[in-house]
Amino acid sequence: MNGWMGKILKIDLTKKEVIEDVLPEKTYHNFIGGRGLGTKILFDNLDPKVDPLSSENMVVIAVGPLTKTKVPTSGRMSLSTKSPLTNTIFDSNAGGFWGPMLKAAGYDAVVIEGASAEPVYISINENKVKIKDARCLWGKGIRETDDILSNEEGKKAQNLMIGKAGENLVKLASISVNANRSLGRGGVGAVLGSKNLKAISVQGSKSPKIADQEQMDFINYEYNKWIKASPLTSEAMPAFGTSMLVNLINEAGALPTRNFQDSQFSNAEEISGEKMADTILEKNTACYNCPIRCGRKTKTNKSEGHGPEYETIGLLGSNLGVDNIEAIAEMNYLCNDLGLDTISTGGVISCLIEMAEKDFYDYDIKFGEADKVVNLIKNIAERKGIGNELAEGAKLFAESYGHPEMAMEVKGLVLPAYDPRAMKGRGLGYITSNRGACHLRANMLGPELLGLPKMVDRFSSIGKSGLLINQQNFVAIIDSLVVCQFSTFAAGEEFFARIYSAITGDEKTPQDLLDLGEKIWNMEKIFNIKAGFSRKDDRLPARFLEETASGPASGQVFEQEIMLEEYYKSRGWDENGVPTERKLADIGLKGVDLI
Amino acid sequence: MIEQFSQIGRDLFLQNAVSSHGGNISIRVGDRIYITRRGSMIHNLKEEDIIETGLYNNDSGIVLASTELKVHREIYRQTTAMAIIHAHPVNAIAVSLESDEIIPLDSEGSYLLHKIPVAAAEHTVGSKEVMDQVPKLLKKYKVVMLRGHGSFAIGQMLEEAYQWTSALEVSAELINIAKSASINIQEYRQNIEKYSNW
Repeated sequence: MNGWMGKILKIDLTKKEVIEDVLPEKTYHNFIGGRGLGTKILFDNLDPKVDPLSSENMVVIAVGPLTKTKVPTSGRMSLSTKSPLTNTIFDSNAGGFWGPMLKAAGYDAVVIEGASAEPVYISINENKVKIKDARCLWGKGIRETDDILSNEEGKKAQNLMIGKAGENLVKLASISVNANRSLGRGGVGAVLGSKNLKAISVQGSKSPKIADQEQMDFINYEYNKWIKASPLTSEAMPAFGTSMLVNLINEAGALPTRNFQDSQFSNAEEISGEKMADTILEKNTACYNCPIRCGRKTKTNKSEGHGPEYETIGLLGSNLGVDNIEAIAEMNYLCNDLGLDTISTGGVISCLIEMAEKDFYDYDIKFGEADKVVNLIKNIAERKGIGNELAEGAKLFAESYGHPEMAMEVKGLVLPAYDPRAMKGRGLGYITSNRGACHLRANMLGPELLGLPKMVDRFSSIGKSGLLINQQNFVAIIDSLVVCQFSTFAAGEEFFARIYSAITGDEKTPQDLLDLGEKIWNMEKIFNIKAGFSRKDDRLPARFLEETASGPASGQVFEQEIMLEEYYKSRGWDENGVPTERKLADIGLKGVDLI
Repeated sequence: MIEQFSQIGRDLFLQNAVSSHGGNISIRVGDRIYITRRGSMIHNLKEEDIIETGLYNNDSGIVLASTELKVHREIYRQTTAMAIIHAHPVNAIAVSLESDEIIPLDSEGSYLLHKIPVAAAEHTVGSKEVMDQVPKLLKKYKVVMLRGHGSFAIGQMLEEAYQWTSALEVSAELINIAKSASINIQEYRQNIEKYSNW
């Protein structure tokens, strides 16, 4: 087989059983890898109503046909499971070096079932797979865990691990990759915690076979031209990382401020990418085979680490009223070491602060008090005091005190750092995303603010659905191949179809890939319908529908029903957001059970 | 919407990519199509020149819609295009008469398009032959030529489809200039022999 390694690992932690398995070639051709493969395996094998923190939940970690090839930005991996935070099907992906190393060990995916009675970690070294005792790692932070595993498994080993938050089943828990990249959202760290699985260490030396090496080299050569020609991938991202967006988004009136009560932050300049570059930035870092090098190695007066990324600055900075880049960086380091998603953590704390300021909840904290936020972060990871309540996420916290409108979330996932009133397509993306409010399900930042592929009216509510659907289907493919979404700043589906065909020998047009993306999207949707989700869950908090935005987006509200109706129709779904029989037949899912 | 249609229509005319009443433009919104009126003057479009009809189902809109409606519908059904421009760019038509593909000589055309395939049909206007060939090619390419007739370009928005149309015409004009001046071309690109396989 070209492109793929042709083998997957199945690990049952209850039985302590490891099995090598093969998948039919057509499964690879139809679902590619990463998110697509994860969706297929969960769709076929996991009860959508399963308790996400029970031993019955499954985890699929997969790479794709481009992983560990010369294709730039192909160093990513994807993890799929049922989320304890959203109760939806959920995939999260991260860069670093773990993904290429899994392929080097000879595997396209690891499927984890069951739960161990005691803490364990999985060691994969070429074909030797062992489930090892992790009691000595339990309770340790991410950095220390990574150091211990490097000593145990060797410097070449790449490690994926949870911190205290995951161990304590915090629903905001992330999974760290190489101690500097994260499978951030959805509480996926708690799923590993519920299985008593602290880490997976992997190493190997194999490489995938390439169907047409000469053609792959030619297409890569052309692709590199695009990356170099794009000012985003060749200039802005290396210079400022994702934090290049802070000033841009603020000027557009889309920067979340004080729990989205405002959409412009007066001190945005103080927490911008430019400020970071002038103060705490030490050097750029890169994932496997990535010429963009958007990673930030940073250092403050007190500590050092990686990041913060734009979303972190938004949710732990402006949205908490914090205007000190060093303070944000230190909160970010802390979250990273505890294994907490910075977006969700910032989102639940901003919810608490607004409730406290409005006397909906008795707690002494105000926007801008960074020191108190640090204590809250520690308490969330430990589930200590109020932290135990916040660890359940913003939705449950706000609901339990009778103020659900205070949680800025969709399906339990708090909004990332773009106000949907200022970017209506982005808002439509939030409510229709299969994993809750997420900026990574479709790149509407491109057409609504960056002019990629061309600029559209960001305030318009009409005519966005087709563009969004194309983006959603495309991103499903990007996440299946698995490559970095930043590569799409330079190249479109045309490039990915050609490089996929050259590597695998399975000839596909751009349209073929988008059709597969549509199928993956609909399978995720069907999983969620079976899990109990319906049209009532495709909605933004009332704030965005009733309270107008400030600044450049002044007077704007999100016109939910108009946009949702057009979206469902464009998707070929009925008025309740359920795929029609005709649509199911069109995408090869005829007769699939929707109950 | 009218501003967008009207601006693109005027620009196509100014670039000599359509005659006074030639070419057509459409966008897709859900399962509806908005397409220029049959016989409208593309450089001077008015509100009433934009006709709404169904993507899958006929309605009274088809009475007024462009004769190429069938081809537009088929392209939307088979691809993820959200906008289509059918134009008659003169230089590209000239080049299409003698080859099955157009390989740009210029840097921008190479960068954006690499290769433009040329389809051939006896009945070139709104025919089944065109419906069979053009949408299939547009699954793989952003813009294709129909020999002796014109171009079909797709995009997620009209501006994008216009860019491919415009880039094609500039590339074709350069090919014609180079040919008529018998320029001895010094190749500046790597892998040019592979562009045919794009």
